[in-house]
Amino acid sequence: GPRRPPARSPRAPKSLPGVERGPGCARGLGTALSPVLSGACPQGSRAEAEAMEKELLEDYRFGRQQLIEIWGHACAVAVTKAFPLPSLPRRQPTLLVACGPAQNGAIGLVCARHLRSFDYEPTIFYPKRSPDPLHRDFTTQCEKMDIPFLSYLPTEVQLINDAYNAVVDAVLGAEGTEGTAGTEPCAAILATLRLVRIPIVSLDVPSGWAAGPGGSGDISPDVLVSLAAPKEVARRFQGRRHFLAGRFVPEELQRKFGISPREYPGSDCVVAL
Amino acid sequence: MPGPRALLGLGLLVAAARAGGRCRERGWSWSWNRSWNRGWERGWERDRCLPRRAMHSPGTARPGPAGLRFLGQEEAQAIDQELFTEYGFSVEQLMELAGLSCATAIAKAYPPSSFTTSQPAVLVVCGPGNNGGDGLVCARHLKMFGYQPTVYYPKRPNKPLFEGLTTQCKKMDIPFLPEFPAEAEFIDELYGLVVDAIFGFSFTGAVREPFGSILSTLERVTVPIASIDIPSGWDVEKGKADGLQPDMLISLTAPKKAAMHFTGRYHFLGGRFVPPALQEKYALNLPAYPGTDCVLQLT
Repeated sequence: GPRRPPARSPRAPKSLPGVERGPGCARGLGTALSPVLSGACPQGSRAEAEAMEKELLEDYRFGRQQLIEIWGHACAVAVTKAFPLPSLPRRQPTLLVACGPAQNGAIGLVCARHLRSFDYEPTIFYPKRSPDPLHRDFTTQCEKMDIPFLSYLPTEVQLINDAYNAVVDAVLGAEGTEGTAGTEPCAAILATLRLVRIPIVSLDVPSGWAAGPGGSGDISPDVLVSLAAPKEVARRFQGRRHFLAGRFVPEELQRKFGISPREYPGSDCVVAL
Repeated sequence: MPGPRALLGLGLLVAAARAGGRCRERGWSWSWNRSWNRGWERGWERDRCLPRRAMHSPGTARPGPAGLRFLGQEEAQAIDQELFTEYGFSVEQLMELAGLSCATAIAKAYPPSSFTTSQPAVLVVCGPGNNGGDGLVCARHLKMFGYQPTVYYPKRPNKPLFEGLTTQCKKMDIPFLPEFPAEAEFIDELYGLVVDAIFGFSFTGAVREPFGSILSTLERVTVPIASIDIPSGWDVEKGKADGLQPDMLISLTAPKKAAMHFTGRYHFLGGRFVPPALQEKYALNLPAYPGTDCVLQLT
């Protein structure tokens, strides 16, 4: 059944007559039996992530751009916690942000822009641009922040190792299936990422992992930033730091999807797991 | 063909080499070393040799006025427009970041433990425009930070952005009052803080009802008031000596001239999204935000 609310959650304030309360205020299972509670979506699965996103967009009326902004910002904050500016080995705080053609890539673009405002020096590699106007806007915003876009990714991996402190992997997310991971340009990017010696920060899902256990063919990120809740594939993660960017998830959705409540430090939007 | 920015970059490159070459994180941010090693980056689509905000490096020359700039109303509107038209931002995006800044500033100055009410109850009064939207985002983040916000939102624009923000709040169990508390004393009793999200930098002319009465009541409230961007009812440039006297002001993007008349305890800067090129264009001279914080305490 649904988990009990965490003790720190304030009790509902006394109602004044006529005070409007949204449908979310009614305790209980909600109007329709959710796929999660009916057992149709295993926890951490792609289906569950999609169900939550759908509910955020349709029931909670979040905007898609708003959500991507929230996620990208949180990912940038996590990157700064994993790689604080003074700790970077190179003289310049350079980062390579590899962005795929779908939503994970858009999150990477927003992440790059916030990293730039945090005084890092991101460089973006975004070879297959989505025609989605939303993604085009994110691209413009990065360009106007003077973030360079690489024309091509060198196959000489040593050049990447020498130039950047870390790589942000925003190539494929939960949508990365056997099909997409194997197509260009993602396949080439992943082939290069498998060989880099600098740390990789993966956003939500290490690219290519969602396609199924790849064994030695998988990339090995140093840091993982899970969005909303860790995905199933995160169980295979063996890197140094795992962050959860889940503060934005409304309490009702946390209960519904069985997400354990976490204490976030201060007003931080991410927490180290 | 390198543009003027690249030439400027090269000129500074020489200066830095003479100065010992170490490029500090917050100062001139490029490195000749870097360009030399990574020849393929000459295939960049954008010129990279843009010096970053010099004002963050003590000892380097500061272009333009030395101090933080306070904007006039037209300037503030021009910057806002430029963010949307030139820089490709959406209102939705910037409103999210602005509201987060407001909630974060409030959390710094008025932590939940500092409230004398039994719960950290906050009244968020939202006006009919974008300032009200900032208030809705702020309320949602305050809820996530452990506060108990209540919203009063009498005039709601018929637009998906505001309807969406309202739904997000309601679905997160944030109550919306049907009526404004009749007396200042009721507000003082029920809430430990009031967030004034009524009017922002676009405000001109007379205050229309119901906001006139609301502001009269708020002027008699004794709990702290945190105003978003401009204390409501104030002239955006000249202030209003007999108007609302908030305890906190969260200036968004850059402070407006009205902020020079602010006498409350806390003045924060928020809205950490202004691209460096825009900051330079308007010579905003924004001080550096600490770390990854989305707010900066000015006083």
